[in-house]
Amino acid sequence: MTGSELTVAGTPAQGTLRTVWAGIRSSRAATIGLAIVALHVLVAIAAPLLTSYAPTQSVPAEALAGVSWDHLAGTDQYGRDVLTRVLHGGRFALVVCALSTVAAVGLGTVVGCFVALRGGWADNVVMRLVDSVLAVPAILALLVVVTALGTGTWVVVAAITIVYVPGVVRVVRAAAQSVVPLEYVTAARARGERRWSILRRELLPNVADVVAVELAMRASWAALLVSSLSFLGFGANPPTPDWGLMVAENRTALTVVPMATLAPIVALATFVVGLNLAADGLAKAWGIDRFRRDGR
Amino acid sequence: MRRPAATGAPITRRSLLATGIGLAAGAMTGCSTAGPATTALPEQARAGSARAGGELRIARPPASNAETLDPASSLCAYEYLGALYNRLTRIDRDGQVVPDLAAEWDVTEDAMRWTFRIRDDVSFHDGRPCTAHDAVYTIRRLLDPDLASPQQGVLAPLMEPGGVTAADDRTLVIELATPNAELPSLFTGYNCYVVPDGSGDDIGVAGIGTGPFRLDSFTAAGRGRVVANDAYWEGRPTLDSIAFFSIADQQARTNALLADQVDLLSQTNLDFVTARVVNASDNATIARVRNGQWYTIPMLTTVEPFTDPDVRRAVKLAYDPQRVLDVAAQGAGDLGHDNPVPPDNPLWVDHALERDPDQARALLRAAGYDGLTVDMYTSSYDPVFTPMTLAFKDSVADAGITVNVRNASADSYYSQVWMQQPLMATYWYTGRPVDQLLNQIFRGGSSYNETAWADDTFDAILDDARREIDDDKRRTLYQDAQRYIVDHSGSITPMFADRLVGLSRDVVNYYEHGFEFDYLNIGLADHRGERS
Amino acid sequence: MTLFVARRLGAMVLTVVLASLLVFVALQALPGDVATQILGRDATPEAVQVLRDQLGLDQPAWRRYLEWVGGAIQGDFGTSLASGEAVGSELALHLRNTLLIAVLAIAGGLLFSLVLGVVAGLYRDRWPDHLISGASLVGMSVPEFVVATVLVLLFSVTIPVFPAVVLDDADATVGQLLPAIWLPALALSIALAAYVVRMMRASVIDVMASEYVQTARLRGLGTGRVVLRHALPNAVLPTLNVIALNVAWLVGGVVVVETVFNYPGIGTLMIDAVYDRDLPVLQAIAVLSAVVYALCNLAADVAAMGLNPRLRAGGRSTA
Repeated sequence: MTGSELTVAGTPAQGTLRTVWAGIRSSRAATIGLAIVALHVLVAIAAPLLTSYAPTQSVPAEALAGVSWDHLAGTDQYGRDVLTRVLHGGRFALVVCALSTVAAVGLGTVVGCFVALRGGWADNVVMRLVDSVLAVPAILALLVVVTALGTGTWVVVAAITIVYVPGVVRVVRAAAQSVVPLEYVTAARARGERRWSILRRELLPNVADVVAVELAMRASWAALLVSSLSFLGFGANPPTPDWGLMVAENRTALTVVPMATLAPIVALATFVVGLNLAADGLAKAWGIDRFRRDGR
Repeated sequence: MRRPAATGAPITRRSLLATGIGLAAGAMTGCSTAGPATTALPEQARAGSARAGGELRIARPPASNAETLDPASSLCAYEYLGALYNRLTRIDRDGQVVPDLAAEWDVTEDAMRWTFRIRDDVSFHDGRPCTAHDAVYTIRRLLDPDLASPQQGVLAPLMEPGGVTAADDRTLVIELATPNAELPSLFTGYNCYVVPDGSGDDIGVAGIGTGPFRLDSFTAAGRGRVVANDAYWEGRPTLDSIAFFSIADQQARTNALLADQVDLLSQTNLDFVTARVVNASDNATIARVRNGQWYTIPMLTTVEPFTDPDVRRAVKLAYDPQRVLDVAAQGAGDLGHDNPVPPDNPLWVDHALERDPDQARALLRAAGYDGLTVDMYTSSYDPVFTPMTLAFKDSVADAGITVNVRNASADSYYSQVWMQQPLMATYWYTGRPVDQLLNQIFRGGSSYNETAWADDTFDAILDDARREIDDDKRRTLYQDAQRYIVDHSGSITPMFADRLVGLSRDVVNYYEHGFEFDYLNIGLADHRGERS
Repeated sequence: MTLFVARRLGAMVLTVVLASLLVFVALQALPGDVATQILGRDATPEAVQVLRDQLGLDQPAWRRYLEWVGGAIQGDFGTSLASGEAVGSELALHLRNTLLIAVLAIAGGLLFSLVLGVVAGLYRDRWPDHLISGASLVGMSVPEFVVATVLVLLFSVTIPVFPAVVLDDADATVGQLLPAIWLPALALSIALAAYVVRMMRASVIDVMASEYVQTARLRGLGTGRVVLRHALPNAVLPTLNVIALNVAWLVGGVVVVETVFNYPGIGTLMIDAVYDRDLPVLQAIAVLSAVVYALCNLAADVAAMGLNPRLRAGGRSTA
């Protein structure tokens, strides 16, 4: 079962945005999921207004304080307010997650559509490359990229993009291939339209649903991956407030100040649940089986 | 790297994943001591009567898959050395150089010719007596450039291989090429363990020494075992045997201790929070190695802006060592005041720059670096690096200095950041003899000179000290050198932190300081008799 | 069909070669080499030179790579630069250890999620479904290291039933490893189960709605028998497929879990090799991983063709 198995039930509608919007409207899960995500985005933007502490302000005398009115979620081992850090903590994850997902899915979609349309040797070459990247354990690829390039926002974005693009190419190409033989594509070709214009006008709108599901799904994986990377010391640089980094910093103090570890985990998990719900809902609305496919 | 090494830092292999993954398994150890942050940790390891026999289980970080039992090699498996071998000299609990295999020694007035008398009651594990010829062989190996021992850089400038001879079976004679009144202290290094004459080809797996334990089995980066040497010249060790397990991940090591799978974590400085968790558990506790960790912030003196001595001085005036000690080590340790010699060393001198951010700011302005902004590197290699970096960053802000913290990968921290980036957090084990410390880490051109500082005046002080055989005068010279480092060098030493060592509550008479570990007296408490 | 398989085999060889080449190129981008990595702070220029001479690192990298490829074709995977052991036997030992937990995890996780997935599918949109789907959603949203660590906490430290870490070396016997494999396997299977439950649920719903199940039910078969006879077999195959196709991705979970438990498997071998820049070991792992991946792909395609006559005729293969 390769990408070709991916079934697109129901004829793809015309109009990219409208398709996506209709899908979201028709699914309660997608609505709830996106609402959760939107809430996280709002909190991340408004974080400085929500508490009276600065996220990096450390007071050694108040280290490892429990829950109190002054510190609703306690303090960490450097005496920083945990709640403040959790509220600010989404910023890095959200930005990296959004950038890397959009980059990976965007690039993967263009390449996938292109090779589906072009076929022939280009298709073969690209797919061999895609296959060989997928054949290398993703963790190895990630390790290599971050070890070679160092840490920081852009490196993490690049690393996740590199790891995700091949999977997207495979999925989108499969979806596009089922569109290519259809009449209107053939007709467009007969009219002598240029390849890019066919790709833009005929192919993209018809794989929009697949791409949207892909986007939501990859975003949820990327969120986990970003946090894992931060947790491993490859993502956000301290003292940046970041969920993954917070878990790494506070995990040893779990019995002493459990909130310092639990709060960022809960924040991360709800964010990922939101993205997963959105992906679920979209997939269900369009009859795309998000689990029965390959090529992560 | 993952080793204690000449340089002193144990590494958590795989720490790159490691640091993360562990989520303090320990954290929940059945104890609900959610007390205040000041919950006291034990000041001292448990002393008392141990029962005779038993097996101690030690978890250690593997140096690498290429580890060897050859003490001279930079790839040596550190924990085994002290159990299997002896050196000519060692350092006692007061920091003095005292006899080990060399019973006594003597030097000529010009500090050029040393004579060591080797003990006559010592045998190797294979029964051969240990003689001056073995010592000659050992020292010549250390000088061999093809072996590239870490100690080679320390000893080779002082002597030629031909100058190291045995006058008879008991007498080792060393003719120096350059005067040195501190030579015996240089043989306390952990690469200087004495191996049998001609054993070079197989010492790495045979492990035949004169030490309190002899080798039973050894696997590089794996498990191994040593058993008591009944014929040991200082008397039989308390334990029957020691089993060594290599566990790369620091968190996994801690978990093994909490789950009672091992008794002692070697080369593992627990961060304060983990230490509390361990201490609160039923079967494990914490011992401190006082001032065991020498934390430094080297400013690379070959890179702008640290080429300017005024900038270096300004940074030293700007930061708050007390804040670093409080935040990074929760006050468990001593202030360093930028002096690399720890306060409990007999040669230590009390000399410090008074913190003065305003003067720092003025110095910077005069040097044309008003509002200096620098990158500073940290890593998950050691749990103290990041809090130390953050406390440093916060306190230098008072002088208008902006520090951008950069987190670097643990696995290449010492190959790509150390001695490459202008500002970073790092540490050494304390325990080098002062002469070796100053020459190895501060003399211009030394391979371990982490600030790349080269100052002829300073080097001349070291040369004078080495020539001086009067102990008091020599001490004064070493103290001058310390003052010179505080005032001029690129090295910042905010603190000497206590190493927090996790060990089972059953372990008694654990003693470790610098590179000395008491394998002879360490034992298990009376009540635990039945464990295999 | 034969032609198809032959073509796929050709493509497979190409994939393996490309993967090995990619890993080689990527490794060249890493700072440092095996000598500087092993020596770390003792990497004085003299020490590095001595070690490089010993290991023959002064030859250009591409030459060493080609020599390695030459040997690998004849079944000789070279010698580890760090440990000096033969890569082939080292890899075999670690692979055996990893399979020990992986097979247990896949079998256990599959059985567990099979039941839950079927229940969720049968009670679609009712409370058991909501409960199970919700739990699996949370399971998907929590990183693996959290799961593994919580397990150690519960079953090694709080209630000491299983060892927290594995103290044995890679060459331990299966008997010696036996007490230690349960927690790693459990950690892996929980991460896996969250996904499989959802796949199973979807499969069961599909199968139950299919014509032949409807027919079987009309013939009067009870739900239990319908599920056992028809739904399960039809749902397990695609599930196995997805697991097979995500083999390369699963390695990520294996690495994390093996690190937490100090388990001497392929994951820890890989991490060590990256740290040591141990090219021959990494090459061998990359090739092994690519072969497994390609074989799984091939098997999946062949199986899909067997199931789906439409594909057999067209052979519109995608990969």
